[in-house]
Amino acid sequence: MMKTFSIGGIHPSDKKISKDCNIEILPVPAKVYISMAQHLGAPATPIVKAGDSVKVGQVIAEPAGFISAYVHSSVSGTVKSVGPRKDLAGNFVTHVEIETEGDDWAEGIDCSDTLITEIPEDNKAILEKIKLNGVVGLGGATFPAHVKLSPPPGKKADCLILNGAECEPYLTSDYRIMLERSKEIVIGAAIMKQVLGGCPAVIGIEENKPEAIRVMSDAVAELQKTARGYDGISVMPLKKKYPQGGEKQLIDAVMKRQVKSMGLPIDVGAVVQNVATSLAVYEAVQKNMPLISNVLTVTGDCLPMDRQHNYKFRIGMPLSYIAEYAGGIPEDAAKIISGGPMMGKAIAELDASTVKGSSSLLYLTAAQTMRGTESACIRCGKCAEACPMGLEPFLLQKYARNGMMDELEENAVQDCIECGCCLYSCPAYIPLLDIIRIAKGDVIRIIRGRVQK
Amino acid sequence: MDKLLVSPSPHLHAKTSTKSLMRDVVIALLPAVVVSVLFYGWSELLVLGVSVASCVLLEFLITKYLLKGTCTIGDWSAVITGVLLALNLPASTPWWVVFIGAVVAIGVAKMTFGGIGQNLFNPAIAGRVFLLISFPTYMTDWTKPSGFVGSALADGFTGATPLGIAKEGGVAAVEGLDYMDMLFCNIGGSAGELSAVALLIGFAYLLVRKVIRPYITVSIWVTVAVFSGIFWLIDPEVYTDPAFNLLTGGLLLGSIFMATDYVTSPMSNWGGVIFGVGIGVITMLIRYFGAYPEGVSFAILIMNSVVPLINKWCHTKKYGR
Repeated sequence: MMKTFSIGGIHPSDKKISKDCNIEILPVPAKVYISMAQHLGAPATPIVKAGDSVKVGQVIAEPAGFISAYVHSSVSGTVKSVGPRKDLAGNFVTHVEIETEGDDWAEGIDCSDTLITEIPEDNKAILEKIKLNGVVGLGGATFPAHVKLSPPPGKKADCLILNGAECEPYLTSDYRIMLERSKEIVIGAAIMKQVLGGCPAVIGIEENKPEAIRVMSDAVAELQKTARGYDGISVMPLKKKYPQGGEKQLIDAVMKRQVKSMGLPIDVGAVVQNVATSLAVYEAVQKNMPLISNVLTVTGDCLPMDRQHNYKFRIGMPLSYIAEYAGGIPEDAAKIISGGPMMGKAIAELDASTVKGSSSLLYLTAAQTMRGTESACIRCGKCAEACPMGLEPFLLQKYARNGMMDELEENAVQDCIECGCCLYSCPAYIPLLDIIRIAKGDVIRIIRGRVQK
Repeated sequence: MDKLLVSPSPHLHAKTSTKSLMRDVVIALLPAVVVSVLFYGWSELLVLGVSVASCVLLEFLITKYLLKGTCTIGDWSAVITGVLLALNLPASTPWWVVFIGAVVAIGVAKMTFGGIGQNLFNPAIAGRVFLLISFPTYMTDWTKPSGFVGSALADGFTGATPLGIAKEGGVAAVEGLDYMDMLFCNIGGSAGELSAVALLIGFAYLLVRKVIRPYITVSIWVTVAVFSGIFWLIDPEVYTDPAFNLLTGGLLLGSIFMATDYVTSPMSNWGGVIFGVGIGVITMLIRYFGAYPEGVSFAILIMNSVVPLINKWCHTKKYGR
């Protein structure tokens, strides 16, 4: 019996249309706009000004707090401006505008394809490299990787889980890197596992990606045969179910442990990193390559097969540039999403630039994405059955609409992971998550305020 | 494309709707409907027609003119109530009695509480029980099946249901009754009790389409089987056996289609089990010790009233708590 998480979950259609498209490298545009808010936590502080010339991989912004990250230039050229620009949701964020000239890389970065399997011994130096190269989690939350890899005193990691679930429909970027960069990912896992004190590492991949399971298993086996430091790494096939890639769900699936409410994975001895993050760790540690590029899927049912793509992009490329390069926006696309269709964000500003965590340009038609008219709750309980946190969305939305904060907290609205399973399942088209998301924010603010007192 | 559509996630939907779920229930009821029409003929068609038409019409009139709100007949729930009410009545029920049943089902049990999603009691059962208490003569006039296809009903079983016979004459009176007859449409009773196989096909369809979960139905079956099994083992001369109890008296119709009504059953799986056990126990208490030969309708109604309490105490297992 294949493993999966124990509570709730849904089975939306895969739609991995672009899974057989090789990763192509996007040419560098004339201008890039690099956001200072590409990670969870405080936006980085720019250290360049207009007129400065920069090289590829040069630091252009420093972390502005403990939970923050370095930002590097993804191109070489001249800084044109440092100022506010709209992100994809339409909010103003400080961006560094760089006009591209040539492709001149900063000193000390190894751009070759040579695989370096030998892992450095100094864990402190490794963590420093991960931090200086601006590595953040690429599974969605963009949490600074070095923070996650430094468990607080008294806590110990029992297992490093590599997230290769890619449970969101349509997305294929993780799948492609697992096929094309399998060894690098395994080396990244070995590095992180060493930093965490040598705990076992498990690469969780859903069964709908048998190729990836095979290729990753082969990579692990080969590295174990030829190099040192790769023992205790294994691939675990998981039963397909959304949201398997949710951190808490993946810990439940792989370790049979559940993180307490408002707790952190490390409390139960788990550290979860995405496979793309593992690749970024490899590049940062073994090649001294900062996180200036990532892989993104351009897909959608309204795109013909030959216009489906997986692109390696440099951060700061405008989304509109990528859309144009990929052949323009299809006629019948009504909504463009950055990220998966379940948790991704609808793009309001197509001129916004890509960030470290960008994973897709997904085109949905009106028929696919329009919600039906809301009608009365028929108490079918499908939302509660679907909720992977075991919450009762029908109840939470009722409390939320009536402003009943105590009841919301008692019924654990703060545990909601915003996966969207409830709204996806609701036959009455009640905007469950829309309502619960707002209530969750309010309740968490109340809880935090209480702690500070 | 001139404008980008922007909305919060999720951006996809399962595309099941109240309407599609309710339509699936109607489809699941079709085998039972077809069997009842085949065996009871024109009179059953009339009961079905009057019941469905009046349920839908009443809901239309009430939502449009009394409540002046959105009309909800498009969601098929009134059709289900109509079909279920008809299947719960003898085929010989006069049309005006059926209509009164529909008035109670839709007008009283459903719409006074606020329409779909709000009603405490299952409308079809409320209608049926009202008729059973108000018009006992019509409601216990069990014609033996004689419809479009022939029937080989055993002699001596006309005019009463197996449970009724057992109540009157004890276990010995139903000894000649074959379980195969019960499985395949050869017993007297409400139109919907005719064929266990037709009802089970509907149950399978509902499960496959994931319209309902099996907890409520199965816990009713298990409770009835265990309860009657214990009594039957103690004294098979006095108490009817488990298979007899499972196959007669609308137990299948009630446990598959009416106890599982979303609105009037608990939302959690454990709540469903408690609900089902309660229905099973009350049904058997009525059958063995009560005045009525069968008790599924009463049992469901009684347990309907406990659902808010069950919902209050039975919550889903939360992650990490």
